[in-house]
Amino acid sequence: MIGNYYKTAYRNLWRNKSYALLNIAGLAIGIAASILIFIVIRFETSFDNFHDKKENIYRIASYSLNNGNGKEFYSGGVAFPVGPALQSGFPQVKKVARILQREGEPVAINISGVERKKFITSIFYVEPDFFSLFNFKWLSGNAQSVLTAPNSAALSKSTAEKYFGNWQNALGKTIIHRNSQNEIYTINGIIEDVPVNTDFPLEVMASYSTLQHSDMKDNLNDWVSTWSEACTFVELDKNASVSAFNKELIALAKKHKPAEYAKDAYMAQPLSAIHYDERFGNYRHHTFSKGLITALELIGIFLLLMACVNFINLATAQAVHRSKEVGVRKVLGSNRWQLAIQFLSETALLTAFSLIAAIGISYLALPFLNTLLETSMQLNILSANFLIFLLLVFISVTFLSGIYPAIILSGFNPIVALKTKITSKMIGGISLRRALVVLQFSISHILVIGMLIVVSQMNYFKNASLGFDKEAIINLPIPDDSASHAKIEFVKQKLLQHKGIKHVSASFASPSSSGNWSSDFKFDHSDKPTIFSANLKWADADYFKTYDLRLIAGRLFHPSDTVREFVVNETTAKLLGYSNPVAILGKEVNLWDGVIKAPIVGVVKDFNSNSLRSPIGSVIIAPQKNYYGVFGVKINAAEEKNVLAFTEKLWNEHFPDHVYAFSFLDQKIAAFYKQEEQLSQLYKIFAAIGIFISCLGLYGLVSFMAAQRTREVGIRKVLGAMPRHIVYLLSKEFSLLIIIAFLVAAPIAYYAMHQWLQNYSYRTPLSFWIFFIAIAGSMVIAWCTVGYRAIKAALANPVKNLRNE
Amino acid sequence: MIQLEKISKWYNTNGARNFVLKDIHLDIEEGAFLSIMGPSGSGKSTLLNIIGMLDTSDEGNYRFFGESVFDLKEKKRTELYKKNIGYIFQAYHLIDELTVYENIETPLLYQDVKGSERKAMVADMLDRFNMVGKKDLFPSQLSGGQQQLVGIARALIAKPKLLLADEPTGNLNSKQGEEIMELFKKINTEDKITIIQVTHSEKNAAYGDRIIDLLDGRIQQNIQ
Ligand SMILES: Nc1ncnc2c1ncn2[C@@H]1O[C@H](COP(=O)(O)OP(=O)(O)OP(=O)(O)O)[C@@H](O)[C@H]1O
Ligand SMILES: [Mg+2]
Repeated sequence: MIGNYYKTAYRNLWRNKSYALLNIAGLAIGIAASILIFIVIRFETSFDNFHDKKENIYRIASYSLNNGNGKEFYSGGVAFPVGPALQSGFPQVKKVARILQREGEPVAINISGVERKKFITSIFYVEPDFFSLFNFKWLSGNAQSVLTAPNSAALSKSTAEKYFGNWQNALGKTIIHRNSQNEIYTINGIIEDVPVNTDFPLEVMASYSTLQHSDMKDNLNDWVSTWSEACTFVELDKNASVSAFNKELIALAKKHKPAEYAKDAYMAQPLSAIHYDERFGNYRHHTFSKGLITALELIGIFLLLMACVNFINLATAQAVHRSKEVGVRKVLGSNRWQLAIQFLSETALLTAFSLIAAIGISYLALPFLNTLLETSMQLNILSANFLIFLLLVFISVTFLSGIYPAIILSGFNPIVALKTKITSKMIGGISLRRALVVLQFSISHILVIGMLIVVSQMNYFKNASLGFDKEAIINLPIPDDSASHAKIEFVKQKLLQHKGIKHVSASFASPSSSGNWSSDFKFDHSDKPTIFSANLKWADADYFKTYDLRLIAGRLFHPSDTVREFVVNETTAKLLGYSNPVAILGKEVNLWDGVIKAPIVGVVKDFNSNSLRSPIGSVIIAPQKNYYGVFGVKINAAEEKNVLAFTEKLWNEHFPDHVYAFSFLDQKIAAFYKQEEQLSQLYKIFAAIGIFISCLGLYGLVSFMAAQRTREVGIRKVLGAMPRHIVYLLSKEFSLLIIIAFLVAAPIAYYAMHQWLQNYSYRTPLSFWIFFIAIAGSMVIAWCTVGYRAIKAALANPVKNLRNE
Repeated sequence: MIQLEKISKWYNTNGARNFVLKDIHLDIEEGAFLSIMGPSGSGKSTLLNIIGMLDTSDEGNYRFFGESVFDLKEKKRTELYKKNIGYIFQAYHLIDELTVYENIETPLLYQDVKGSERKAMVADMLDRFNMVGKKDLFPSQLSGGQQQLVGIARALIAKPKLLLADEPTGNLNSKQGEEIMELFKKINTEDKITIIQVTHSEKNAAYGDRIIDLLDGRIQQNIQ
């Protein structure tokens, strides 16, 4: 029996190749999209789920209980002394482990005493217990023996291979950190490379005790500052109450922090939340919010649904041609149930083909997706949950798309079917198919509008005026050591001698940077610190010229190597209650309880010191040479090549122990929006798929109508209708359907995207044009689709059509 | 075998009853060969479809081997139909996607005949109709007469007791038509299968041992 069905099915598909291909293509693309979404979601939800103790591991994170100016503060890090404080008096805490990440650190390796290899890397300072919390495997050594003594270090296998050729070679060798004779680390252990799905990208690790002998030693006892890279993990007892622990943490912060920081609090953030909560961040600087996961799941389901709708439309369109077979089979003794099974198994066959094609498409598309998202996801067909996913897709697609056509086809009256007088009315609700088309186009309108808004937000980011000049500015790193710092002025003068270089400024960071240093301060002899933190921009006097910052009151500070005067931004003046910036001039800024005290001499116009996600905050600028870490070099764009060759030579000459690297400021700023950029690429793809599938569906529906009206078209032509009349006859209602779909989609898309845009302080307006482009675009594409099929019908030979009746 | 009592069927057109069949009384013995004649639109096909259980009447009673057909549940009626009735059409109505062999085999699939037995039965049928060499061809590769032979083979394969044929020779030339009629005669006499055929041709009708003439839904003439 099944054999007979499959023979019919197979030959039928073969005979209607184009129809089958249309069906398979639509479904395959829909399924492929959902497979890829499945892979992405599975990857992103697998982060750090391989640790045995994952249920009981928490990160102690910082936040502000309630902040006066509504600006919330969140950080994944805590003050250094929190870890030791948790060791006693907290019976529910079984283990505590601290870890500090320092990024962009230069390390050097001596090879045969003469040759030197230099690398830039992230160094993790780790307490040994970190490895009893997390499952990272040791190839050689163990955490207790390697990570206890100061200046003892471990490498990951591939890092050891990169540095020393093979990992066995690395053992016992040394690496020199920051070119400092006090920071020579000995490699005593090797760990296996960490999996790709962990937020701990461990490559170079040194013992935490190393910090006691480094420039960080004072910070280790500081309860006030929060370093977002200094994390503390704890293992809680299985039965411990997390909410009770959180209360104790708040009390702990209160107990140790000075009274003016009463709002600072700590909480236990579950390990399972770290990859998803962008407020607290992680060491990969890549979070994947639950909202994004939901959005992707919805898109996946939508695309599948659209593909199923196509299937239904195309299958019922074909029903007219199958009616005779239904009649014959009924006359030969088939009952309705058997016929329904037959048609369902045909759908199953098509779905199976589509599934196979979809797996192929996914295979081909995955590398591109990995490049786009900078991930290394894999398609492991044989993994159990992937197979279950495929099975679920197979069953749900088969039933969603097959049930309706099966019910309709198997319900034909044999007498009527054999007279081939099956018409749209018998096949049932043309209105149902119209509703399905409306549904499809609504979904693709939502996708398209969403995509256009994400893209226009991206363009907004790229083109927004940040309040400072970011074009043709090169950033060059200034090494950290004092010997290099002594050369700053000398190198700056050398740079300025090049004819392609216009201005040079040495500073802690560019006006807009991902590395920020923030602190509150005491203003105008107040004994309380400000309720907001100011972004500290240490910079020389040429900073303003180089980045084109505009002065609106007072004057710039005089050139100096240490702070003697401050320049602040407009927002600082406003936050302190000065609507007229002139009034703030002469007032004193007191940083860190008198460590630095100086008057404000000027106010600059606001500029975006963070990404455009957040509003402009307070910025204070002052010269302090020992904090400088980067040169901003404004160049003549035409001289770019020459300048870069020149600076490389200059750097290797004057900073021979350091790795030379440069970056363009505008590119660095664009990198702030990497996640949005990736998202917008992804949405573009999904929207294109959505449109494609809808058009396939539309094509199917027009084919259906054309087939149904062959006779009518034939008669009309015999009566003298022109092809354009016929095209109009067949396509007029689709414009209406698309407009209805748009009216359904527009409010939903508006609402959803309005919500999304709330994530950004600076956002593109939801302009009328975006909606107009969406409707006009889909209209044009739909007309082309419909028009092609309608013209084909209109040009068909009427005599032939009529004779077939 | 078949008893029709007071069978009437009508369509409502503009509120008025438009009778297609009116008070049909008909008794058909097992082993009979009945020809139904009558002008176009007189209700021949409708009557045949009612006998063939593909259609129902609006009034009247239909007994098939003593069972009251209209009172049977759908499932029971399909069983009765599957076991006893074979159908042949003017337009052959073969399934285009299936080969000659598969077309003939299909009714057996619906009757759950086992594979080996099925093979034997189809082979037997192909042999009997001299179509062994054509078993792998598709309907479109056959002449009209050959297609109708496949249609007949398909109708006979499940060994029905009653063969219904609606203008089986309507699309054939007279020589092909004659061959089909000879075949019917042979089936009727040798296999003792009851045959009811609708035909427009006096000559073909004469192959039957009984002719009824329909006019406007009534039996005009009943020639034994
Ligand atoms: N769905 C319907 N609605 C109204 N009238 C119908 C319907 N179906 C059939 N009829 C009418 O029933 C009558 C009998 O039809 P039937 O097909 O039985 O005729 P016939 O004797 O087989 O004719 P022919 O020799 O042309 O095949 C015809 O007059 C036809 O118009
Ligand atoms: Mg007829």
